Amino acid sequence: MTDIVTIIDHTFPGCILTVQATKDDFPTLWVKPAHIVDILRFLKMEADGPYKMLYDLTAIDEQARAHRPDQPESLFTVVYQLLSFERNTFLRLKVPLTAGEPTLPSVTGVWPAANWYEREVYDLFGIRFEGHPHLKRILMPDTWVGHPLQKCHPARATEMAPYQLPENKQETEQLSMQFKPEEWGLDSTLGDDDLLFLNLGPQHPGTHGILRLVVQLDGENIMNVVPDIGFHHRGAEKMGERQSWHSYIPYTDRVEYLGGVMNNFPYVMAVEKLAGITVPDRAKVIRIMLSELFRISSHLVWYGTFAQDLGMMTPVFLTFNDREKVLDIIAAICGARMHPNWFRIGGVAQELPKGWEALIQAFIDYFPKRLKEYDNLVMKNSIFKARTIGIGVYSTEEAIEWGITGPGLRATGLEWDFRKKQPYSGYEQFEFDVPTGQNGDCYDRAKVRVEELRQSLRIIQQCLHNMPEGPYKSDHPLTTPPVKERTLQDIETLIHHFLNVTWGPVIPPGEAFCGIEATKGHNGYYLISDGNTNSYRTRIRTPSFPHLQFVPTISTGYTLPDLMSILGATDYVLSDVDR
Amino acid sequence: MQWWTSKVNDPTGSIRGNSSFEETFQKSIILTNMESLVAWGRKNSIWPFNFGLSCCYVEMATSITSKYDSARFGAEVIRGSPREADMMIIAGTVFIKMAPVIKRLYEQMMAPRWVISMGSCANSGGMYDIYSVVQGVDKFMPVDVYVPGCPPRPDAFLEGILMLRDQVGNEKRPLNWVIGDQGIIKPLGASMKEEKRTERMKMTDIRDPGSV
Repeated sequence: MTDIVTIIDHTFPGCILTVQATKDDFPTLWVKPAHIVDILRFLKMEADGPYKMLYDLTAIDEQARAHRPDQPESLFTVVYQLLSFERNTFLRLKVPLTAGEPTLPSVTGVWPAANWYEREVYDLFGIRFEGHPHLKRILMPDTWVGHPLQKCHPARATEMAPYQLPENKQETEQLSMQFKPEEWGLDSTLGDDDLLFLNLGPQHPGTHGILRLVVQLDGENIMNVVPDIGFHHRGAEKMGERQSWHSYIPYTDRVEYLGGVMNNFPYVMAVEKLAGITVPDRAKVIRIMLSELFRISSHLVWYGTFAQDLGMMTPVFLTFNDREKVLDIIAAICGARMHPNWFRIGGVAQELPKGWEALIQAFIDYFPKRLKEYDNLVMKNSIFKARTIGIGVYSTEEAIEWGITGPGLRATGLEWDFRKKQPYSGYEQFEFDVPTGQNGDCYDRAKVRVEELRQSLRIIQQCLHNMPEGPYKSDHPLTTPPVKERTLQDIETLIHHFLNVTWGPVIPPGEAFCGIEATKGHNGYYLISDGNTNSYRTRIRTPSFPHLQFVPTISTGYTLPDLMSILGATDYVLSDVDR
Repeated sequence: MQWWTSKVNDPTGSIRGNSSFEETFQKSIILTNMESLVAWGRKNSIWPFNFGLSCCYVEMATSITSKYDSARFGAEVIRGSPREADMMIIAGTVFIKMAPVIKRLYEQMMAPRWVISMGSCANSGGMYDIYSVVQGVDKFMPVDVYVPGCPPRPDAFLEGILMLRDQVGNEKRPLNWVIGDQGIIKPLGASMKEEKRTERMKMTDIRDPGSV
């Protein structure tokens, strides 16, 4: 296929300002703001090997940045990241904004999925999108002043006035949260009937965390759902701008808190791309093994709670017990259960402990028969089937349109797993199948995840039998913590070691994106280094964000109890949505 | 009050005592006052509110499942409505957007009510000194027990419940009006750091992380 830069240059002559070189080798084009919508529409609809998925949309506040050679002048840069399934490549488009009041035309007309992304950029950067159907804050409360990801906004809570909640503030905050249907263009009546607006959350057992859904109901039938997110916004991206490259790793653990070290994975790989570190084979396989253990642990939480959402009490106790077995192995290797924070830039924290093989082998022997038991208990259960088959159906086209990745995409029949399609860390050496569904309903999404449990076990077994010998960490000078062996022998090494440990490594300026097939879908870190001890901009593209945005579309027309099934089958984590 | 349990098929357990009239009498009658009886009942059936904020909630939920089994301490009946619950566990990060909601939920609980702050975020903001996070839930509502950890292990959370049970059992909470001190008198919170110091100092061998 023709190179995409040539195609764009040919179709839109003079619109490309410059082509930027990045460490991830994605084509990165700067284009003129006036043409961005046309270019995106062309790339989605007409281009050869079209870029069908709006993978990410975010912004950069460039005002404090020192190293941006050959880049057009810009105060705020809006970044569009697209994915082409035909080409199996990403494409990054950047738009410079120089005006005092930054505005840009909205692309919601091309991709409906741009809706939440643009609201997020507006909320966190103050960039307005003209033609957006409802440009309103999404993560911060409506009463918030300022845009947190601007460089001038304070990062720490302790830099701001101490938090207080007197009665009058409690009142105003509660009032600002009141749902007004007319604000969202929703009717309160249907013919002669009054419609009911049911407020689900932010505290509700069925929402799996602090999420608020306002459901427009005609009797029991869902007419519309308006999600309200941001209750779990922990400022993880802003945190990246102040923690050192190394000390940010614990924060990544908590972004998708069921995935544990799997969250470290894309982050450390992105830093390694920036720093040019090659990771030794043993570290790669250790990383894969622990990630797959966490995939099992995360899927087990989903399995139990999903069954519980649909009225089954027993499975959650059984799957949590099995999760304990996984966590015991993880704790034996990493020393912690949920947030081991165990990957390091250039490798992992330490050597595998003596006797790890026996632990893994015991689990491999134990787990398959439990999975069979769960199949009988849950997947073959007629009530479970009745509540999931034919519920929340969507097609592959819809999934791509809305940015769905992971099991939610595979359940529609598309065999697309980033571990196979864009292998990282040596996944291409492993034998495993990519389970898919056919119908794209809640049952198929469950089926895919259950099968993934078996495939993860297969991968772990291969790790066990083929663990390479060698170091668990690279000897590159930018690895963290740096290699200590030679420090007491010459002063040069000692100085470098001291600086690397106290200040942290200085990563060369550049930009890199790295993504992995995480438990919920495709999780990616887009890091910008300005040649400092911390990142200039950390963008976390999480799968749960677009997945939750899709919930209203797939819930409309079903009944209220079906919504619980749809939410459960979507398998999001609120910290993954709000970051 | 003293009581014991015996093991299944344990022949010695069944013939404990001499089955005399006095013994039967002693086992069947409790002499106590109403306040202590109510306090005893309360401390053994603290029903938690099914409320969670973030990562800690997963560990809190784990403490209910079989391996940890909070039912042993009478605290497994999780309630979906704050009005039916005795104890609210602030399990996770207290977000500024969520704070008014947390306070409203707390106000909706009926007295007597207790609060456990679970995890570093709820205790003090923890590692999240960031614009969107309240630096500790005690900035806007009272807390009875703080459980440290990020997240605390389920065992640590259970210890928090045990500490709360002790507090609840020793609380002076008159059932009727009284002469003298009015209102609720809560026992002083104990510092586990101090209490366990001697035991901790005894630990001289630390497990080698190089083997399992």
